[in-house]
Amino acid sequence: MNNDGVNDALKTIKVKVEPTSPDEIDAFTLNVVPLLHEVKHALQRLLETGEPTTIDLGSIPLAPGEFEKIDAALGTGEVKVALEAMGPSQIYETQFSGVWRVTHFNAANEVVGRYVEVTRMPEILLAQETDVRIGLDLLSRKLSGEID
Amino acid sequence: MTLLEFARGPGMQWALVIFLVGVVWRLVGSFLIARRRDLSKPKGTAYVKAGARSMLMRSIPPHELEKNIQFQHLSGYAWHLGFFATLLLFGPHVPFFQQFLGFGWPTLPNVVVLVIGGFTLAILIALVIRRIIHPVMRQISTLDDWIAVALVIIPLVTGFLSYAHVGVFGARYETMLALHILSIEALLVWFPFSKLMHLFYTFPSRYQIGVSMERKGVKA
Amino acid sequence: MRKEQTLGEVMAANGVSRRGFMKFVAATTSLMALPPSMIGKVANALENAKRPSVIWLPFQECTGCTESLTRSHAPSLEGLIFDTISLDYQETIMAAAGHQAEEALAETMKANFGKYLLAVDGSIPTKDKAFSCIGGKSNYDVFVEAAKGAAAIVCVGTCSSFGGIPAALPNPTGARSVTEVLKEAGIDKPVINVPGCPPIPTSITGVLAQYLTFGQLPELDHLNRPKAFYGQNIHDRCYRRPFYERGEFAETFDDEGAKKGWCLFKVGCKGPVTYNACATVKWNNGAGWPVEGGHGCLGCSEPGFWDWGGFYKPLSQGQWGGWKTLGVAAAAGAAIGLASVAVTRSRQAKAREEAKV
Repeated sequence: MNNDGVNDALKTIKVKVEPTSPDEIDAFTLNVVPLLHEVKHALQRLLETGEPTTIDLGSIPLAPGEFEKIDAALGTGEVKVALEAMGPSQIYETQFSGVWRVTHFNAANEVVGRYVEVTRMPEILLAQETDVRIGLDLLSRKLSGEID
Repeated sequence: MTLLEFARGPGMQWALVIFLVGVVWRLVGSFLIARRRDLSKPKGTAYVKAGARSMLMRSIPPHELEKNIQFQHLSGYAWHLGFFATLLLFGPHVPFFQQFLGFGWPTLPNVVVLVIGGFTLAILIALVIRRIIHPVMRQISTLDDWIAVALVIIPLVTGFLSYAHVGVFGARYETMLALHILSIEALLVWFPFSKLMHLFYTFPSRYQIGVSMERKGVKA
Repeated sequence: MRKEQTLGEVMAANGVSRRGFMKFVAATTSLMALPPSMIGKVANALENAKRPSVIWLPFQECTGCTESLTRSHAPSLEGLIFDTISLDYQETIMAAAGHQAEEALAETMKANFGKYLLAVDGSIPTKDKAFSCIGGKSNYDVFVEAAKGAAAIVCVGTCSSFGGIPAALPNPTGARSVTEVLKEAGIDKPVINVPGCPPIPTSITGVLAQYLTFGQLPELDHLNRPKAFYGQNIHDRCYRRPFYERGEFAETFDDEGAKKGWCLFKVGCKGPVTYNACATVKWNNGAGWPVEGGHGCLGCSEPGFWDWGGFYKPLSQGQWGGWKTLGVAAAAGAAIGLASVAVTRSRQAKAREEAKV
């Protein structure tokens, strides 16, 4: 999906951008339905105990096309973030709030990890203690004229 | 050489050779053996009809004895049919026959074969228990019987275990599969020299009885 | 020297942010086939990981394993791993050559005696050691010398793990696996086998990453393979398994079943006796794996896979010798049968004669 599409989606502000029809669910094979159940239980756990869950899609023996079916079933939601750290990362909330799809790429734009994260906010998006410290240090030095 | 390599290699080769040598040896021997000439005047001469009738009649229980042997009769049929259905209609078994014949045939879904195989195994175990506790059965059972029963049960058990990927005593799937193939090879090797030869003898001997009874003028 | 730096320090020095590090940790955790719940532990361990020295020795091999490794789909992450491990000797990719290279090897072995990780690809000829030499030294001697000072030995590929293709029948060079040569030379060192022809690249780097991360050997199976990558049976993890259960098989590679993606058991798939991560990790940036491409598993991560009687022979088939052999057996049976009939008949005739008298 390109950025224009995201912008269009943001204009209309729809939570469920890609609703799935029952027909499509019938076509689900093997891994898709169990995975969706796993996500459901993880969501319940998030609500009840606040415990987040990460599912590594690389650890599931997916049949051809299942990956696309999982993404189609999860759909896209309100948040989409592009992260740039040691190569790009694509992070977006699915139509189910609290369920995120995280894809990490390396500097050569090859996928190095695909995850479904069930959490209020993927941890990698939070500003990290070490980075904040470095930032504070940098800003302080800038203000004191030590660096440009 | 791993156990599986042996089972699929020299083990299979020797089992088949021993099976064939033994079976042909015994068939030739028993069909060509000299029989004393019967000098009496035949009381009937419809030999083929009598032989065929005997083959059929001895395959269904005589009415007057039915009540006594019903269990043995039905269970015998059931497990024989189940055994051959499991052997011939389980998908992965077909290539074994295909290598000799060059053609295959449609098979059943695994779950159906599992149920059939399970019933077969249950009946066999029930029959073994009966053989142990039934005083007459126990008396007439020889070592040959016990070995034959074991050699039929073991392939079923190892087959289930390897299908379910359950290792006994920590054995891995490869080992269970090897044991399954080896158990069939043991069956093939033992076959010609045991009561298992009834596979070839049952109907010829029933036919023979029919013929000889016809000659004596007895309807049996 | 950089050798004392931890991975955390190396990364910080390279301007990698904490987010970048977290990403690296997530990918490394996936790489090591650990569950995402382990990410915290991995992060901790990686941050403080020290730089081990690695010597890589190639013997009777085709360089396919190195090709696999260098085409691994996570170059920047592995770049970091390789920046962090000190790959002191790797003939294929090192810049030094000739005596210079041999000196580097001797120096590394001396300086890190008892501490370096020895990676080996290729089997070792034992019949006539001269079958494969490097700089006039036989593979056998080079290996034994390097093995003595190794902390552990990682066998990359089926050849070093189990003998592989060089050891396939009739094995003209007397090729042996690392484990066999160690036993023969009386050296007792921990061995990690990472078999495959070639191994999945991430399995190679995963094992190195694991050693780097936790400084210890991973949990191994009965063939010394890391359970993380070789703990799963291909058949059990195969997405075509439901077809097997329904009894739906491809009978040939171009029939209706093959087109519908049915089970490949009958066209020789060795998935049921093979342990590897192909079904989950997949190949070529996750594009697919042999079964997904419509070809049965060859069992390349298992010992002796080359001599299993044919890649296209189903597991339930074996050596039966053809009809000629069986015909000879039947003829032999008939001959014995006829002989026994002759003997019995003559005995019967004799008995009748005696009865008449």
